[in-house]
Amino acid sequence: MQEKKYRASELMAVMTAKEFRDWEIAFVGIGIPLVAGMLAKRFHAPNLNIVYESGCIGPLKYRVDFNVGDSSAADGALCLTSEWRVFSDMQAGYYDVGVLGAAQVDKYGNLNTTVITGDQDYYTPKVRLPGSGGGNDIGSSIGRVVVMLRLERHRFVEKVDYLTTPGFLDGSPGAREKAGLVGSGPAAVVTNKAVFRFDPDTYEMYLHTIYPGVTVEEVKSLVGWDLKVADNLKVAPEPTPEELAALRAVDPTNLIMGGAEARKSLAGIDEYIELTIKNSGK
Amino acid sequence: MSLCPGLMTGVIGLAMIVLALGSNMISSKKPAGSASGVPAADANGGGCVELDRHFFTWGRRKQLTEKNGKTSKVMTLREAVRKYVTDGCSVTFGGFIGRDCVAAVHEIIRQGIKDLTVIDDSKTDMMDLLVGAGCVKRWEGAYLGYGAIGLAPNIRRSVEKGVPLKIELEDWSNNGISMRFLAGAMNLPFMAIRSMLGTDIVKYNPRIKVIEDPYEGRPIALVPAARPDVAIIHVQRADAMGNAQVWGFNGNDENKARAAKHTIITCEEIVSTDEIRRQGNLTLIPFYCVDAVVQVPFGCHPQSCYGYYAYDVLFCSDYHEAAKNRDKFLKWLDRYVLSAEDHMDYCAKVGWDRLQKLMRLERHFNRIPG
Repeated sequence: MQEKKYRASELMAVMTAKEFRDWEIAFVGIGIPLVAGMLAKRFHAPNLNIVYESGCIGPLKYRVDFNVGDSSAADGALCLTSEWRVFSDMQAGYYDVGVLGAAQVDKYGNLNTTVITGDQDYYTPKVRLPGSGGGNDIGSSIGRVVVMLRLERHRFVEKVDYLTTPGFLDGSPGAREKAGLVGSGPAAVVTNKAVFRFDPDTYEMYLHTIYPGVTVEEVKSLVGWDLKVADNLKVAPEPTPEELAALRAVDPTNLIMGGAEARKSLAGIDEYIELTIKNSGK
Repeated sequence: MSLCPGLMTGVIGLAMIVLALGSNMISSKKPAGSASGVPAADANGGGCVELDRHFFTWGRRKQLTEKNGKTSKVMTLREAVRKYVTDGCSVTFGGFIGRDCVAAVHEIIRQGIKDLTVIDDSKTDMMDLLVGAGCVKRWEGAYLGYGAIGLAPNIRRSVEKGVPLKIELEDWSNNGISMRFLAGAMNLPFMAIRSMLGTDIVKYNPRIKVIEDPYEGRPIALVPAARPDVAIIHVQRADAMGNAQVWGFNGNDENKARAAKHTIITCEEIVSTDEIRRQGNLTLIPFYCVDAVVQVPFGCHPQSCYGYYAYDVLFCSDYHEAAKNRDKFLKWLDRYVLSAEDHMDYCAKVGWDRLQKLMRLERHFNRIPG
């Protein structure tokens, strides 16, 4: 097989971008979810409005944010307000879609961003993660949730170590409503190898789309339960050159998509500023 | 205390009480505990202290005539932190991983303040520094990470290994904390919220009460008011009275300032009260919530300050790399915080040239109308 012209994380961002529809209002997490939102705005969803929990509604996305409260989150915003106000607007049903990352997901779409307990416990965990942030609020109240994480065996587990953000809880009929939750829960899980969706009757996650060059067996081996596969399993199209070019322009310093490694290839603050301004479109 | 509800007939009544009681009587009240009718859980170290003071909001805010009679609340950062931030107190910080009061955090570390309870929504650098420096006993909040860069190294070392101290963590969601500050700001004992239901957040946090909504019968979560001893909030500009104006997002700052016993405003610029009056709709925090005003240019670095300077992502990446190792973190702390005389000295260490570049980047996108 010939060498791919793109990275799996880039296809992951492109596939996530396709989850947004034009004119929707979206709550997106920092990192690749945000890059996906910016990409959607440059293609099929130019009127997508992004909301940040810091209180920014509908900014023009000239540059990526590294934190929800970066000044970039407010660039050209339609409305700059308070944190409790945007969460209340979400609880009141104004926001359509949220994109969340996680360390673990289970078969009912429940997420863990709090602790990896290992053989220890919540109080003295193997790994302390950041915690809920706004993730729980988004998972509780927003229209629908798209989850984004790498497909790895220790991430796709039968039961999460700590249930931070509600999916379909125990998968029983009406579990979310009985718990008092108003949002409709997870709609898709986008990874670096495949996209999963949820059975409307059993609430169980199933394999919906695989990426070029990935096999069903490989996906199944990376999931911690007996994964069901769609009868009409789809294969994702490769990202187009236009999509890849736009993606790289959204994150010109590669600090989001490339992480700590990209930091090493960046000469310094002058290069960072130059790349950011040059690719901003402003 | 029992006289007062009968007199709560309006603003005139309140003014009468303030006049009649004066500041001494109110400040001499002892903690009321359960007598105030607020759940006893508030007494468990959660930063909800001296409830009677909060119940009588006008009394807390306190010695109003004395405080607001001052024409200037301006002081140095060292004075403000020494006066209001004490060992064992509870504190909240403004901003939302952006417009963070980093300079004040450096000063807290320099003064060696210990055993803080921090009640907050989401924090990165500031909490990583405070925990690494051993200033924090307890955290009540939603997010302790490092943004898009990764996990927070000192938080991990503290929680997983107990180095330098094991902090107590109480997990909430961001909106859960937001509602706690809203309740605190409104002088209500709790607020209702539709988050956290059905999850382990509720399981491990007994202060979240899930009840049946008495009107509609569905489950609803209640969260207790947050009433920290001190709020420290960085803004773009304020006047000497303490009217604080903010551009960009607001986070929970309006409620944090109102819920706290004392509020310190740090700002990029101090302007005249006439200048404040020109755009009063930008005043997020009015003077009567404020105890101290401190001018601290570049007080958020390496975080951003809308209209002034952009996020210094490379500085943060380098910090994050260093902080993964305890010895390297201590060297970093010594270099940038402990050996710095004050915030201006920190700025010199970072480099004025670098700060100017961050200012240029921010002003390419956002300018504050003069």
